Amino acid sequence: MHPAIQVENLVKRFGAVTAVDGISFEVDQGEIFGILGPNGAGKTTALEIIEGLQKPTSGSVKVLGMDLAKSSREVKARIGVQLQSAAYFEFLSLQEILNLLGAFYPKQVPAGELLEMVGLADRAKARLKQLSGGQQQRFTVAASLVNQPELLILDEPTTGLDPQARRDMWELIRRVHERGITIVLTTHYMEEAQTLCQRLAIMDRGKLVASDTPSNLVAGLGEHYSVTVVFDRHLNEDERASLNGNAELVQDHAAALGGAAYRIRLDDGAAGLTGLLERFGGPDPLFKTANLEHLDITSATLEDVFLAITGNRLREEP
Amino acid sequence: MTAFFLADLKMMVRNGQAMFWAMAFPLIFVVVFGLFDFSLPTFSSIAVVDESGSPASRQVIEQVSAIYLLEVEEEIPDERMARELIAQGDLDYLLVLPAGLGSPAGQSPDSRATLVAASANGGRNQLVEGSIRNILSGVSGGAPGAAASGAPAEGSATEASAMEGVLVSQEVAVTRIPYFEIVLLGLVGMGIMNNAIISIAVRISNYRNMSILKRLLVTPFPIWKYFVGEVGAHLVIAVVQAVIIIAVGVLVFGANIHGNPIDLFVIVVLGSLVFLNVGFIVSAYSRNPAAASGMGNAIGLPMMFFSGTFFPTATLPWVLPYVAEALPLTPMLEALRAVGNEGDPLWSVWPQLAVLAGWVLGTGVVATKVFKFE
Repeated sequence: MHPAIQVENLVKRFGAVTAVDGISFEVDQGEIFGILGPNGAGKTTALEIIEGLQKPTSGSVKVLGMDLAKSSREVKARIGVQLQSAAYFEFLSLQEILNLLGAFYPKQVPAGELLEMVGLADRAKARLKQLSGGQQQRFTVAASLVNQPELLILDEPTTGLDPQARRDMWELIRRVHERGITIVLTTHYMEEAQTLCQRLAIMDRGKLVASDTPSNLVAGLGEHYSVTVVFDRHLNEDERASLNGNAELVQDHAAALGGAAYRIRLDDGAAGLTGLLERFGGPDPLFKTANLEHLDITSATLEDVFLAITGNRLREEP
Repeated sequence: MTAFFLADLKMMVRNGQAMFWAMAFPLIFVVVFGLFDFSLPTFSSIAVVDESGSPASRQVIEQVSAIYLLEVEEEIPDERMARELIAQGDLDYLLVLPAGLGSPAGQSPDSRATLVAASANGGRNQLVEGSIRNILSGVSGGAPGAAASGAPAEGSATEASAMEGVLVSQEVAVTRIPYFEIVLLGLVGMGIMNNAIISIAVRISNYRNMSILKRLLVTPFPIWKYFVGEVGAHLVIAVVQAVIIIAVGVLVFGANIHGNPIDLFVIVVLGSLVFLNVGFIVSAYSRNPAAASGMGNAIGLPMMFFSGTFFPTATLPWVLPYVAEALPLTPMLEALRAVGNEGDPLWSVWPQLAVLAGWVLGTGVVATKVFKFE
């Protein structure tokens, strides 16, 4: 059985900028494959090449076993695409949009069935702008399934959604997957990549820096912990340095409360963790003037994987 | 393609407000121009052919030019030319002063002046005739009571009166096309131009901003079919718009429009194609729908004046008349007016249609070269 997608040495340059810098990967049929990376990593460009929206500068792409350069129309007929921030015709109802899109394909799923699947059956006559953000996003998934695709490509399907709508979207993606549709999605949310994807490729600055299952990627870091400590006041630089050298301010409490939370990353496993915890209980001069209010230990996440590989954080906000 | 064409029409009709104002804009002009009465121009033109060159004739000319409402055209060389101009509706009156002007009345038919008037001047003719008769009897020197010996000339018979002997009056039947009817067809062209340029430009700019064009590109639907559907839907709207504008002009303001309606629609469709292409080009250079609308207006409004929607462009200075002639709205209006005002057949305006077809091709090539999907 051929892979759903085969990408080899894909390069895309825009003038002097190299958006995609020689990436290769394969997506197996029937899996949920995630491309994780910060904004500007080249994820969308890579997807747009696979979708046939852009021509690669060099490299080859096979989709569903077909060479994209030769049979782009056939590929388009058999894949479903949800674009990042795609809107639809303002003056058509949901049902009419689906019927119109369906008319562009040789094979089509009835609009009612699609709306049923994404939980919008009762909104068939509504206009898109009458829906909530989460409903709109679910509709765009329905619209990308109109041709009964074998492969569904979702570009940042949960960006901008509130936590509940995001979980609903994950649920929907799993339901689509259960129908045997291969899914490729991009995200810059590590928790999304971790819970949803069976395999991941991590992209940074146009390059593919790692590719494996989420658990293997995390396990590859070895014993790795992240300790969050909350003090009742801000720490000065010396004090921060004394906390293992990498205490990083992650949250500034309200001025009235006067406290601050710091995150300390430990990559030397249990030994480092024990050492740090012993200091908190010992006669450290820091603790004579600042009170430790809270302490939280978590094991490594994809965020740590990304940091370890690229030296950068995945995104600005914690 | 049909699916898209129908969906597109549906969307345009449902966007009721935009549709309403696109239709209302030229109609506002129709109403404004329909309310003003352009049938009597403030001034009438008169040409004087002086065959006598005597002091008496110079006195007559001087007094005629002093008549308020009459403007003497100096540059008309001879009587034949002047009669032609009257017949074409470009001149209102002609006064011929004979060689024998001022000789005793009744002695020679040669002593009588001739006034030729266009029938289209309406009631003003009597007024002008009376004034000129007065002037002539003042300078003729002869006894005003003398009867005319010659037979009355063709045209309206002259009344036997005290001043009869000095002037023969003729009326030339002229059907002048009312200004409103000329403007009405100008407004058809203007409305279609504006609607086509702005509607396409705003629409495409909108679709591009919302990634709808991109969304169409990821389907196997050939994108040229999308453009054909879009253009087709706009052509239907253009024909409907032309029908509405002409219907309001005819039914509400009593305009007479001649020609075969099918011929008019052929011109409307050909002109629309040019302006739809221009709309696609505008969309390529505008970042958002508001910019597209502004740019569309910046192209459409000057063209509306320079192509002679409201007044002739021959009086423009410098090379501007040639520029006006080169604009695509100009041949469209010329063709619409030749068919709709004069009742000419479609084949007679083939040069205008050929120019329009050239514009369709030219703008089409540019549009496909500069068009941007994102």
